[in-house]
Amino acid sequence: MLDLHGYGPRLLEGAGVTLQLAVLSLILALALGLLTASAKMSRNWLLHKVATLYTTVIRGVPDLVLMLLLFFGGQMALNIVTDAIYDRTGLDWYVNLNAFAAGVVTIGFIFGAYMGETFRGAFMAVEHGQIEAGKAYGMTPWLVFRRIRFPQMMRHALPGISNNWMVLLKTTALVSVIGLSDMVRVAAEASRATHEPFTFLIPVAAVYLLIASVSEWMFARLQKRYNVGFGGH
Amino acid sequence: MADTPIPLEVRNIKKRFGDTEVLKGLSLEARKGDVITLIGASGSGKSTFLRCMNLLEQPDEGDLIVHGEEIRFKQTKHGREPADWKQVVRMRAKLSMVFQSFNLWSHMTLLENVIEAPIHVLGKPKKEAIEHARALLERVGLTARADAYPAQMSGGQQQRGAIARALAMDPEVMLFDEPTSALDPELVGDVLKVMRDLAVEGRTMVVVTHEMGFARDVSSQVIYLHQGLVEEAGPPQDVLVNPASPRLKQFLAPKY
Repeated sequence: MLDLHGYGPRLLEGAGVTLQLAVLSLILALALGLLTASAKMSRNWLLHKVATLYTTVIRGVPDLVLMLLLFFGGQMALNIVTDAIYDRTGLDWYVNLNAFAAGVVTIGFIFGAYMGETFRGAFMAVEHGQIEAGKAYGMTPWLVFRRIRFPQMMRHALPGISNNWMVLLKTTALVSVIGLSDMVRVAAEASRATHEPFTFLIPVAAVYLLIASVSEWMFARLQKRYNVGFGGH
Repeated sequence: MADTPIPLEVRNIKKRFGDTEVLKGLSLEARKGDVITLIGASGSGKSTFLRCMNLLEQPDEGDLIVHGEEIRFKQTKHGREPADWKQVVRMRAKLSMVFQSFNLWSHMTLLENVIEAPIHVLGKPKKEAIEHARALLERVGLTARADAYPAQMSGGQQQRGAIARALAMDPEVMLFDEPTSALDPELVGDVLKVMRDLAVEGRTMVVVTHEMGFARDVSSQVIYLHQGLVEEAGPPQDVLVNPASPRLKQFLAPKY
């Protein structure tokens, strides 16, 4: 039997942190991705520029650097705001930036940029005639989006979303640098303390693989759903 | 007749793409039961003209009056645009379009295609929409394909399905944009038959087409366009049988 030297519960907790972090970041990334794609396709000049700046910066700077920047920079920005409030009103609202929230926000922002490109490509792949038919039948832009563009776009976006999700899942391991005890951090700690790295790292690898396999299965089902009517595969 | 509003009136439509003026002032009046066919060589502007009628293209100038309601426009930095998109949405629901490439929504079954806009645009109860849709599918001979997806249907079936989708809106006017041009020759007949029946039952239709037999047999008016202008217009006996314009004569002459 595998002897985890008493680290079992902490590792399990770490796995929970990893999974929660990944899922919440994914939700944020999907929302940001849709917004970014819409902004990039909008004919509003400013929206377009902001979205382009966002994807360029995020994709051009290493994830680790972004995470540190956001965590420390975010705390400094918060301090400036709370100090200003204190100076003016005497209210002491000092807030400590929560490492978990910072992790979700950073990973969500990073992958929002990638999702944005995935969504943009997928939206452009929807045949124009499909959208025109919606318009011609008196649909509002929102109805066209909800009933036609979105379901047809998803078919093209899912492979990319699935790919981004796998990378996102593994990127969560970076949060140990801002002090979050995800399962990688716990495993590293345990390996150092017990000099038995494989005892901890192999189960950690297995957990990642398990999450990845389950998600692959889920994405395959989604793909099947959104492929309906498109013949072939 | 005078007290019911005219289903569709279009006055002096002008449209340019960049430096080319494709529509140079076109007008049309579709009264109840009219079947107006637009003919002309490719590039004559007939499809663009039709697409201006439900504002899939924005005309640079001209008026559009649907069932007595005039569409309001405003000038923006992107050119002339409708002032009130809600009005456009309302107006489009009265004008159903049948496209050259069918454009049935590919992620929905045929039945779902037919009930989509009645439910979500007109707010019809689902049960009622389904009943109506089944009756329309029977009419166009597609009862057996109700649960098929467009990709599983032939072009002719898709186009007849698209006509059922258009009819499900109970439109004031049906707009047909070269409905048989993308079809294999042996599939054209079924689609034309459905359209002839619609014409006979008194549907108001504006049809862009290359099918001269159809134009001759069912049109109340034929409009021949050349380079964005009306070259000749009138009842089919005049325009198609005894054309005055030499250009139209040549256009109608057998090509081979």
